[in-house]
Amino acid sequence: MIATLIVVPILAAVLLLLLPRRAEGTAKWIGVAISFLAFFATIGLAGAPDESVRWLQRPFTANFHVGLGHGLSYWIVLLLTLSTGCALMATNVPRRRDFVAQMLFLLGAMAGVFLARDLVLFALFWDLMLIPVFFILLGWGPERSNSAWRYLLYNVTGGVALLLAVAAYGVLEGSTDLIGASLGHGASVVGNGWGLWIFAGFAFAFAIKTPVWPFHTWMPATYVDLPAPAVAVVSAVQSKAGLYGFIAIVLPLLPEQVQAAAGIMFVLGLVALVYGAVVALVQDDAKSIVAYSSLSHLGLIVLGIFSGNALALGGAAVYVIAHGLFSAGLFLAIDQFETREGSRSLKRLGGLGARNPKLAGGLTIVALAALGLPGLCGFAGEILILTGLYASGNVWPAVIALVPIVLAAAYMLRLFQDVMQGPEVADVPQRPDLTLLELLALAPLVVAIVLLGVNPGPVAGSANVQSAVSLVQGTR
Amino acid sequence: MIFALWLLPFAGALAIWAFGPQLKRLAGALGAATVLTSFAIALALAGQTFTGRGVKAPLVSWAQGFSFGLLLDPLSLLWVFVITGVGGLIHVYSIGYMSGDRAFARFFAYMNFFVFAMLTLVLSDNFVGLLVGWGLVGLASYFLIGFWFFKPSAVAAARKAFVINVVGDIGLMFGIFVLFAATHTTTYAGVFAKAGSLAPLTVTLACFGLFVACAAKSAQLPLHTWLPDAMEGPTPVSALIHAATMVTAGVYLIARCAPLWDVSPEARALVGTIGALTALTGAVLGCVQWDIKRILAYSTMSQIGYMIMGVGVGAYQAGILHFYTHAFFKATLFLGAGILIHALHDEQDVRKMGGLARRQPFAFWAMTVGTLAIIGFPGLSGFFSKDAVIYGTLEHGYPLLYAIGMVTAGITAYYMCRMLFVTFFGSYRGDVPSAQLGVAASTNPPVAHEAPSGHEGAHAPAWLMQVPVALLMIPSVIAGYVWFGSRDGPLAYGGPGSLWFGYFTTNFATRAEAVQAAVPEWLSTVLVLALVGIGAFVAYRRYAASAASANAVERLRAESLTAWRPLTRALYFDDAIELVFVRPASAIGAAFARVVDPQVLDGAVRDVAWLAGWLGREMRALQTGLVRGYALVVVLGVAGFLVYFAWFGTVR
Repeated sequence: MIATLIVVPILAAVLLLLLPRRAEGTAKWIGVAISFLAFFATIGLAGAPDESVRWLQRPFTANFHVGLGHGLSYWIVLLLTLSTGCALMATNVPRRRDFVAQMLFLLGAMAGVFLARDLVLFALFWDLMLIPVFFILLGWGPERSNSAWRYLLYNVTGGVALLLAVAAYGVLEGSTDLIGASLGHGASVVGNGWGLWIFAGFAFAFAIKTPVWPFHTWMPATYVDLPAPAVAVVSAVQSKAGLYGFIAIVLPLLPEQVQAAAGIMFVLGLVALVYGAVVALVQDDAKSIVAYSSLSHLGLIVLGIFSGNALALGGAAVYVIAHGLFSAGLFLAIDQFETREGSRSLKRLGGLGARNPKLAGGLTIVALAALGLPGLCGFAGEILILTGLYASGNVWPAVIALVPIVLAAAYMLRLFQDVMQGPEVADVPQRPDLTLLELLALAPLVVAIVLLGVNPGPVAGSANVQSAVSLVQGTR
Repeated sequence: MIFALWLLPFAGALAIWAFGPQLKRLAGALGAATVLTSFAIALALAGQTFTGRGVKAPLVSWAQGFSFGLLLDPLSLLWVFVITGVGGLIHVYSIGYMSGDRAFARFFAYMNFFVFAMLTLVLSDNFVGLLVGWGLVGLASYFLIGFWFFKPSAVAAARKAFVINVVGDIGLMFGIFVLFAATHTTTYAGVFAKAGSLAPLTVTLACFGLFVACAAKSAQLPLHTWLPDAMEGPTPVSALIHAATMVTAGVYLIARCAPLWDVSPEARALVGTIGALTALTGAVLGCVQWDIKRILAYSTMSQIGYMIMGVGVGAYQAGILHFYTHAFFKATLFLGAGILIHALHDEQDVRKMGGLARRQPFAFWAMTVGTLAIIGFPGLSGFFSKDAVIYGTLEHGYPLLYAIGMVTAGITAYYMCRMLFVTFFGSYRGDVPSAQLGVAASTNPPVAHEAPSGHEGAHAPAWLMQVPVALLMIPSVIAGYVWFGSRDGPLAYGGPGSLWFGYFTTNFATRAEAVQAAVPEWLSTVLVLALVGIGAFVAYRRYAASAASANAVERLRAESLTAWRPLTRALYFDDAIELVFVRPASAIGAAFARVVDPQVLDGAVRDVAWLAGWLGREMRALQTGLVRGYALVVVLGVAGFLVYFAWFGTVR
């Protein structure tokens, strides 16, 4: 049954193309319905046994093996289905039938990435999830923009590195099944010579996807050019594929290499953390601010992952979900005022809050979650990651990582205040407040932001999270 | 019960937020009712709190060592009393004060949210819960400073307050790191149980982090600059958040963490010194302000300096007593000022006031009582608490801080009497042109208070505003007498060991470590009183004596124009922050965005990108479009994969 989470959205995407082109409303509601059905199906399937079908025998064993568990995979798939549903609910992009089809394909492919328990399967879905984003950029992005190609070039490069690493691992190990082969027997048998190259392949792919500084330059352009529903899902979930890969694949399979490379990853994570934050301070485009803030926040997660500390790793898992929730919310809220006022420029806009109190309220909560307000989800991830970092002896990274928290307050308030507060700008249209539907599209994200902020315990893993494996699969 | 105490104001906030338009005027009543009910619950729980080890309730567990709960012990109970008691009265006052505002309901939603946040802060039994409350009160403060969000100055003040408070938050986070790394827990009980066995450096580091948080929240040097600007908020907000409760959170934190401060002499010296310097700086800057709320803001900063100095050097009872009395008299002062501001159509410049004693007798008496209390007039509440703090520094062996505290007391008497005399004595100057008074033209036209029409001239306030002020005047006078009552008898002077106040400070009862002071307490009191008398007398000579009243306009003009510039620029703290932090951060960000991203990083991959672009163009030329280009890339990728795959397959 777990496989239906992958198959049904992809099938639906294909079948949608049979609808008449004008059935835009129907297509949208089909998309919303499938997303939320998948959301509830995921809840229903929590902890269901893995499903595995023999696939390849030579040159190594590969299985069509999917599993949900009740750990990180479970939470990310919930995030994926929820954010896709919310993103599609209030959308009014042109050519909606085709757009919804792309989004459903994206949903299925990404579910595949997070449910795969076999490296070959993982790599397959990894490449599949690039395709719809590429087509959305081409079809719905601004004309004369090369962001689609940039996205593709960067991510296919990473994809090829991933494939090579998977192949090498399979050949050396005899199996790419994540549960059956190596993990069942404890430590990996990959030696250091090849292990470092395999690690490099994985890390390269994951670092581009996340993105980790300095592989990030495709990201702001992609985020700015993608239409809102797509960027909400891409920033919320697709950017987590790399981080998930580090947690679910690299940490358990290549522990020695992780230790060897932790220093480099720490430096890259810290640079991303600070660099993204200071660049976000000076952006004028609201989407760019969120894009660079993502660079910063994802750097923090990298620190958590490579700290080797259970608390920080649990915090990283929380922050993976938290960032997904608030970045989806931010991009959706930005889209609401962009479609109303025709601009995302902080210089241009101002004083919208007076006539859009609901929109201002929604933007406030997601922005507060993003800047790490204690009590909301961003903070929960931050404090666990940083406390774990410090407690594991990484004193200076933890201290340096405190500075971007202040910067985050500055750039997020700047985004909110310059758009919503101050005197009303005379020549901006000031169109009416959120409709009920638009409000309903933001509400689930806001509720989740509060719930996760109050009690991140289930995501952080039970109190005895000892390893990445138990975090991904869940322990019970 | 403790959950009801904690969550009632929050429920009120949610209800007002959701149903504000339907509730209309009732929003204020609902807000006040929930807060006052919390106060009643706190009274009911008082007995339980004093006997045994307080009321406890577990909440959630995030991870190992991150388990949270509520704790109502005597120390938090005192804060709860002030938050809900003074807070409830200020809510009632606000119903009158905000009655003309379009966003009446929004105001009460924020105020109730603040009370909830502050209760979270003081009821938490652990550092992370404290930090949650710490952040949420900062948010409430941000909302309320920027309440009139169409004013650019209010928006800027709100942002500044929030960002500086986040600096404090990261200090608190650092403190949590250090304490968690050393003790593997975040609960007070767990941490303090091990406080004695920790390395001295660890404790000092933790105290330093915690004190950064205190400095930001309680407006201590050099993180105080947000507090004067915070006066952009409505006056009841200034009374509740920026005087009586939130800004005293730093005092609470240090008192709460007494077991840490007790084992770190360095932390004591640091906190005591910063507190004393803040007290002095606030008082000196208060002398050159003309905006009545800014005068009170600087006096708040100064008085909190006293409290921090008190709890910092180890005179916990004295510092806490000063928090307790200050809450009453400072709320009285702010609410009295609010009555004036309300009556004078948002005029806040004392130069444009004058002679209001006859026009506003109620406000006059309220402000007089508040002023006498704050300067330490014998018998009033501030007299006992300030004296206790000042003498406490000497008892704990800090004579230099003692001297600073004494001098500050004299300056306090001067600037508070100055405010009182200029506002209420002489003749009314509201119709004198600004230029003649030396009032600079405002860059931000006062559009703040959307008062309803029909308010003609200066008029008496509604009873809704007078009753809460009257109720606050009573403890402003008598609150200090909790210092009496000891084993020697109910009326005997007890000092830190007094019977009544002792209930609230049982946490510290066993830590009487005072050394024998060189100066006996009665002599110290006489010295302080002499300085206070001198300060008040100088203010009288300059602002209230008949010679001064006769040509008040010229004198005020001359004083405005000749004030020493470093003082009117508030000692350049703002400029320094701008120069050292804000501008460099923006410049670096701009440089990264313009140079590093497009030139350096993209430059490195530009050749490859160019290749891809070329490939794409060739594909378009050869075939039908981009789709095939993509397909080719995928095919090439897969082909590469298969080749590699096959080769390794044969190797094996």
